Amino acid sequence: MTNLLELEDVRAGYGPTSVLHGISLQVPEAGVVSLLGANGAGKTTTLRAITGGVRWTGDIRFGGRSLRGMSTEEIVRRGIAHVPEGRGICTELTVDENLRLGSYLRRDGPEVKKDYERVFEYFPVLKQRRRLSSSTLSGGEQQMLALARALLMRPRLMLLDEPSLGLAPIVVRSIFEIIKSINESRQVAVLLVEQNARLALNLSSSAYVLEVGRVAVEGDSAELQGKESVRRSYLGY
Amino acid sequence: MQEFLQLVVSGIATGGIFASLALALVLIYNAMGLVNFAQGEMAMFATFVAFTLIGRGVSFWIAFPVTLVLAFAGGILVQRVVIKPVERAPVLTLVIITLGLATLVNGLAGFAWGYVPRSFPSPFSPDSIDLAGVFVGYRDLGVIAVSGIVLLAVYVLLQHTTVGLTLRAAAHHPEASRLLGVHVSWMLALGWGLASAVGAASGMMVAPILLLEPNMMQSIIIYAFAAAVLGGIESPLGAVVGGLIVGVTINLAGAYLPFVGGDLQLAVGLAIIVGVLLLKPNGLFGRAAVRRV
Repeated sequence: MTNLLELEDVRAGYGPTSVLHGISLQVPEAGVVSLLGANGAGKTTTLRAITGGVRWTGDIRFGGRSLRGMSTEEIVRRGIAHVPEGRGICTELTVDENLRLGSYLRRDGPEVKKDYERVFEYFPVLKQRRRLSSSTLSGGEQQMLALARALLMRPRLMLLDEPSLGLAPIVVRSIFEIIKSINESRQVAVLLVEQNARLALNLSSSAYVLEVGRVAVEGDSAELQGKESVRRSYLGY
Repeated sequence: MQEFLQLVVSGIATGGIFASLALALVLIYNAMGLVNFAQGEMAMFATFVAFTLIGRGVSFWIAFPVTLVLAFAGGILVQRVVIKPVERAPVLTLVIITLGLATLVNGLAGFAWGYVPRSFPSPFSPDSIDLAGVFVGYRDLGVIAVSGIVLLAVYVLLQHTTVGLTLRAAAHHPEASRLLGVHVSWMLALGWGLASAVGAASGMMVAPILLLEPNMMQSIIIYAFAAAVLGGIESPLGAVVGGLIVGVTINLAGAYLPFVGGDLQLAVGLAIIVGVLLLKPNGLFGRAAVRRV
C-alpha cells in the first residue's frame, strides 16, 4: 500500500523549546493510524507541524509532495482536514455557517449537496440546530460539528486531535463508530491522536507511541495491544 | 412637538454619519482587537480626494463611488504596508502605530490641501419638505438614505456572501479559519479596505455640514467611539444603533439642555463613552467576554 502521508525525521518546537526530536511516521492511503503518548509527548505538535502551524525541519510529504514552505491554507487545500485540539469551532457563527466554511472552497456543487445529506445522516442533531449559534451546542455536538465540517472539505486525510476529550463515554463510542464508517465508506485516511489508547487501537491498523518527542514504540495496533509490557509502560491500562 | 420631531430627524441624519464611522471602527476592532485611531483621518483624506475630483468637474454622484473604491484600495494598502509587518506586536504598539498613522495622514492632507476650511458641495437641495407639519430637510433625508444604503450593503456583504462569511470567521477565529483554507491575512486586509470605504462615506456625508479641513473628523471620531462603545465594540449592528442614539441624543441635548448648547455637545459624546464603560462595559449588543480556560 502506498503512503499518503510521510514524516521523515521531523523536528519542531516553539521558539527555543524543541518538542519533536526527529519523528518519522507513515499513514497509508485510506488507512487509520493512531498517535499515542502521554501529555506533552508531542502528539499535538506533530499534527500542527503537518498543517504548517509550527516550524519544522526534516521532511513531510503528502501524496508524494513535500509540504515544505507551504502555508497552512495551501496545505489544507491539498486535502488535509485538521480537527484541532478544542475542535476549532467558530462559536461566533451558526452551525450552518460553520458547515459552509467546510465546503466553501469546493466547486462540485451537486456533490457538495450529497455530502450535506450524508453529514446530516451521520449527525441528525446538526440538521435540527442548523440555524442556531454553534456556541449553544454541547461538547459532543461541537465535536460532531467539527467532524461534519471536516467531512465537507472532502479530504483525503483527516487529522483528529483527541476527539474523545471531555465527552461522555456513550457519545465517544458513537463518534468513533462514525469515524470508522467515514474511513471505510469514503476511503479517507485518518491520523488519530488520542489519550484513550484502548479506543484508538481498536480503530486503527497501526500505531505510534511518542515519548518526549520521539517515537518510542511503533507497530501493528493489534500487536501493540497484545504486548503486556508495551501496554503497561506506555498505554496505561 | 414639531421642533422635537425635527430635531430627532436631523439627529438620525447625523447619527447615520456616526454609525458609518463607528461601523468602520467595529470592523477593524473585530479583525484585530483594537480600535483604529486613524479611521477618522483616513476618512478625511478620502473626502479630500472626492473634493479634488469634484473640483475637476466630476459630478458628486460619480465622485462618491469612485472615492469609495479608492478608499477601499487605500485601506488595503495601509493594512499591507503599515499594519501587516507589525501584526504580531503587542496591542499597545499597534495603538501607537494607528495614532502615528492618524498624525501622518493628517499632516499629509494639510500638506496637500492646506488648513483653510473649504466648503464641500452637498448633492441635496437645501430646501425642506413639510411632512404633516414637521419640516424635514432634504439634506437630512439624503444623508439618511445614503448612510442607510452603505450600512445595508455592508450588512448584506457580511451576512449573505461567502466572502463575508470567511471575513467573519477570519476575524473571530483566525487559527481555525486557516485550517479551513481561509487566507486570513488577506481577509484582514479586506476588512481594512471595507472599513476605509465605509469611513469615507461618513466623511463625504459630514463634509457639507462641517466644512472640509484636515481636522474635520476629530470631533466626529469621538462620537463614533461613543456609538461603537454604546453598541458594544464588537457588534456591527450595535455600532449602527449606537450611532443613531448618539446622533439623536446630542441633537436633543444641544437644543433642550441650555448649559450644553452647541459647545458642550462633544462633552455629551464623551459622557456617553464614560457612562457606558462604567455601567455596561459590553454595550447594548456586546456579549460579555467569556474565556474558557
